[in-house]
Amino acid sequence: MAQAAETPAIKAVDIHKSFDGRPILRGVSFEVYPGETLAIIGPSGCGKSTILKILCGLLEPDSGEVIKETHDIGLVFQGSALLNSYTVRENLQLALRGRKLSKADEEEQIRKTLALVGLADHLDHYPSELSGGQQKRTSFARAVVYNPRIILYDEPTTGLDPVMSTIIEDYMIELERELHAASIVVTHQYSTWTRTADRIIMMHAGRIVWTGDPSEAVDSDNAYIYQFAHAKREGPMLDA
Amino acid sequence: MSNGSSTISGNDLRRKSRIPNPIAFLEAYFGSGVKMIGLALILLTKTWSLILRGRIDWPETVRQCEMIGLKSFLVVGLTALFTGFAMSLQISRELVLFGADTAIGGVVSLALIREIGPITAGVMVAGRVGSSIAAELTTMMITEQIDALQVMRIDPVEFLVVPRYMAGILMMPTLSVYAMFIGLIAGINIAYGAANIPAATFLDSVKQTILERDFVVHFLKAFINGTIVTTFACAIGLSTKGGAEDVGIATTRSIVWTMTMIFVFNFVVTSLTYAPR
Repeated sequence: MAQAAETPAIKAVDIHKSFDGRPILRGVSFEVYPGETLAIIGPSGCGKSTILKILCGLLEPDSGEVIKETHDIGLVFQGSALLNSYTVRENLQLALRGRKLSKADEEEQIRKTLALVGLADHLDHYPSELSGGQQKRTSFARAVVYNPRIILYDEPTTGLDPVMSTIIEDYMIELERELHAASIVVTHQYSTWTRTADRIIMMHAGRIVWTGDPSEAVDSDNAYIYQFAHAKREGPMLDA
Repeated sequence: MSNGSSTISGNDLRRKSRIPNPIAFLEAYFGSGVKMIGLALILLTKTWSLILRGRIDWPETVRQCEMIGLKSFLVVGLTALFTGFAMSLQISRELVLFGADTAIGGVVSLALIREIGPITAGVMVAGRVGSSIAAELTTMMITEQIDALQVMRIDPVEFLVVPRYMAGILMMPTLSVYAMFIGLIAGINIAYGAANIPAATFLDSVKQTILERDFVVHFLKAFINGTIVTTFACAIGLSTKGGAEDVGIATTRSIVWTMTMIFVFNFVVTSLTYAPR
């Protein structure tokens, strides 16, 4: 867990973003400390993935600022986003490009990271030869192979069966312990945010509508988190 | 890549198809055409700035040369062979009527070196390779592979476009020369079969007709075609967003744009180099 006196690893300050004049983010601010996992939850279309893309620099905010202690950010994509024409080893080598490692160090780092996600014997497989869960784990390995100080997860367990979701969540917990990185998980999977997060922010219509820790979420009297955590049709989130 | 897609996605097309006003319809399509040319020029500038700084991934360039060049040899050869047959047959027939049989080799070779060689190779590579590049890069955009490269701080232009462009400008002249020779072989056979012109007479006529300038223009056209095919295909691939149907749309757009541009620039180069003064 984060220390109160520590400097945040990443801080979003009053982020606004619109697409085609339609506001997606309306003043989102938060910070995440080293060793802390923040879950961003909320219904589809609330701006969760947009904030993640802004944090890693894939999108520019219209206004506001992202303050990072490093540009070394690992992002685990929802759809794995592995390069299809490259093997598992080559996908990880790409992530290490430009880091001036010797061939031996590079190979050792790749093997060590793949062992962490249980894929040490899949070095020369192509993504198409892996199962969905294995692709997701390779995506994990690629995101963390250079030991980033900040790891972002975009819907890491969406579309996976409950067993594979648990395995992925276990890897996330283990990675946090191993790397002491600041992690941000965008998800709407109940088990993912309750198991992996130290702190939660709930978004709706581009704004943060609730902040707390997982143990408070279920019993909170905040109408948004109550509706979301209890999967109720009735509540302030009309789209539900 | 930047968030604002400058090209027409599947959704855009559906939206635009509901526009009843023909003026608005034309505006939308011409506007998109201007944007496309702008995108291609920006991409070409960035590609050259990387090449001039020596940022070329040679192993990947060699791999792309195989994809663009070696794998196109059969289809370019077949096309050049049959184009050579048909063209030589027409030319032989007309020249025999005028008693100018010995000029068959010269006329056939002029057509091949100045127009048919570069055009045949350009069009076949545009169809076979340009469409494949556009489909591959669009798929990479849709499946967030390009985003993944950017997060890993890998420049997609350096990583994806430069090797394809280098392979395009290296392999297109090779294919053009190859198409020209295959066409010549077809011409020699037709000239012998249809007009009883021996190969030696045919080749003598070729030697007397072809000038050094013809080779320069041939290579210039091939270089431009290589630039057009790879730049437009990459620009379309890297600027398309949406879903699976957009891969098909990008493929079609790539073929239309590259082939049109090949014919336009072929005429521009011909008019600048061969127009009567």
